[in-house]
Amino acid sequence: MSFSFARVKAVLWKDLLELKKNRGMVYSMLALPTVIVLVPLGIVRTYVRNPGDSNLRAIALYYDLTVAADNAARFLVDKVLADWFVLYLIMPVFVPILVSSHAVAGEKEKRTLEPLLSSPVTPLELVIGKSLASLIPSFAVCLIAFVLLCIGVDLVAWPLAKELVLPNAMWTFGVLVISPLFAFFGNGVAVLISARVGDSRLAQQLSGLFVLPLVGLAAGQFGGALKAGAEYYAILGAFVLLLDVAILFAARRLFDRERLMSRWG
Amino acid sequence: MSIVVESLEKKFGERVAVTGLSFEVKSGEVFGLLGPNGAGKTTTVRMLTGLLAPSSGRAVVCGVDLSGDGTALRKRVGLLTEQPGLYDRLTARENLRFFMRLHEVDETAAWKKTEKYLERFGLKGREDEPVGGFSKGMRQKLAIVRTLVHEPEVIFLDEPTSGLDPQSARTVRDAVAELSSEGRTLVLCSHNLAEVERLCTRVAVVKSRLRMVASLTDLRREGLALEIQVEGEASAFVSLLSALPFAPNVLHEGEKLRVMLSKPEQAPDVVSALVSGGARVHSVTRAARPLEEAYLELVKEET
Repeated sequence: MSFSFARVKAVLWKDLLELKKNRGMVYSMLALPTVIVLVPLGIVRTYVRNPGDSNLRAIALYYDLTVAADNAARFLVDKVLADWFVLYLIMPVFVPILVSSHAVAGEKEKRTLEPLLSSPVTPLELVIGKSLASLIPSFAVCLIAFVLLCIGVDLVAWPLAKELVLPNAMWTFGVLVISPLFAFFGNGVAVLISARVGDSRLAQQLSGLFVLPLVGLAAGQFGGALKAGAEYYAILGAFVLLLDVAILFAARRLFDRERLMSRWG
Repeated sequence: MSIVVESLEKKFGERVAVTGLSFEVKSGEVFGLLGPNGAGKTTTVRMLTGLLAPSSGRAVVCGVDLSGDGTALRKRVGLLTEQPGLYDRLTARENLRFFMRLHEVDETAAWKKTEKYLERFGLKGREDEPVGGFSKGMRQKLAIVRTLVHEPEVIFLDEPTSGLDPQSARTVRDAVAELSSEGRTLVLCSHNLAEVERLCTRVAVVKSRLRMVASLTDLRREGLALEIQVEGEASAFVSLLSALPFAPNVLHEGEKLRVMLSKPEQAPDVVSALVSGGARVHSVTRAARPLEEAYLELVKEET
């Protein structure tokens, strides 16, 4: 079977164009990053505004008994940022789910799948083109959100830290390495589910359930049961990498012209 | 020969969608695939355009065997689907450009040809409007233009006027007639007999299996229609004729009866039944048989 980058590019071009013209989708994509950036800024500001507050020390001691009284606020700033990364990871999973569910199941809803599959495009080219059209905007959104978060946190935390708090090694590694793995996972899940179900809303709802484990991890971290750090996120990344490989194999099997046509055409 | 089909069959699990298909379509011919809903027409078209793999049998379209390179096949055929399947948010130009890119044709040259079709189908000047605002007829005409962007050798039209109002259906039929006048090989899939009668030279009648392949003239000749002039109201004799062992279809109007027969030998029995039933027969003539009658008889069999 022949493979053509030109056809992958054509699918990518069309899907990005459709995304650009779908304002509702663009606003939905921007809603989550706004929350992910603004909420930690509010928390950090609370710690920085009154660093001598004795309650802060009490909270810090809950997590670490060795925290010195004059360092409690800074400890909590670092702690909340380390913990927050797991919630940041919701973004690279959720945004591709939003875009891919629409891009794949949407072709069935709009009855565009049959003309599309009757063109020379192969299922593999279609999956790659559609995945790129979902992953590229997701990476862009995640990077922009990260840059804004860094600027915001550093501005807010400067009076306390007197140095740049972000970007640090863990966040940089996380954003550049772990976040793409999660984005790939979100996209893969959405593509697989979209290939099985007939409408984009159902695909989004089902795919969205895959965000829940991250929320569970966040709860564990904030509750003190899990300790977030570079090693912890590296293990999480490795686990998602294995899931990504499994998804790749499943997608190749499920995204088959005959299967799609006889089921949805 | 543009299409050669030999004993083609498609099964979905245990269910046989269509079987025993064998026919040929010559280059430049407008060939009709006739059959009721669910007869397997769309499945046949999907097999011949490389969308579905046949369960058994063989077919060669534009010199490409269906068991071979599907991409090569799809580059040489065009498919107009029942639903236009356009991207509503994109403009007509963007919709067409997308398919030009999928077919990897030279966009500048393809666009020049495409502009001619847009002009011919009354879409010139609307290229930069989102197709979401187009009428049904315009959408279907744009979908026809889309099937032409790569200059396919064979064009499959699957129920091209289904769901359209009479005016839109007419404009689409005119567009299809124009394509056939260019000498293109067209396969028209339809249950609209008037459409098939106007556009096609030969047809294959399909209902789960191939019932007949014939020219329209031969199809009409299959069986026989008698036009009988009786004295008085013809409707009085309808039940008498319907009670005959071969149960012919009988139409009546004033003093005229139109009786459809499957064999010429049935004609004397009809006349004899009428006479013994008290009818005064003035004349019996062999009438031209409407295509509808021949078609209904073919698809009625074995039901």
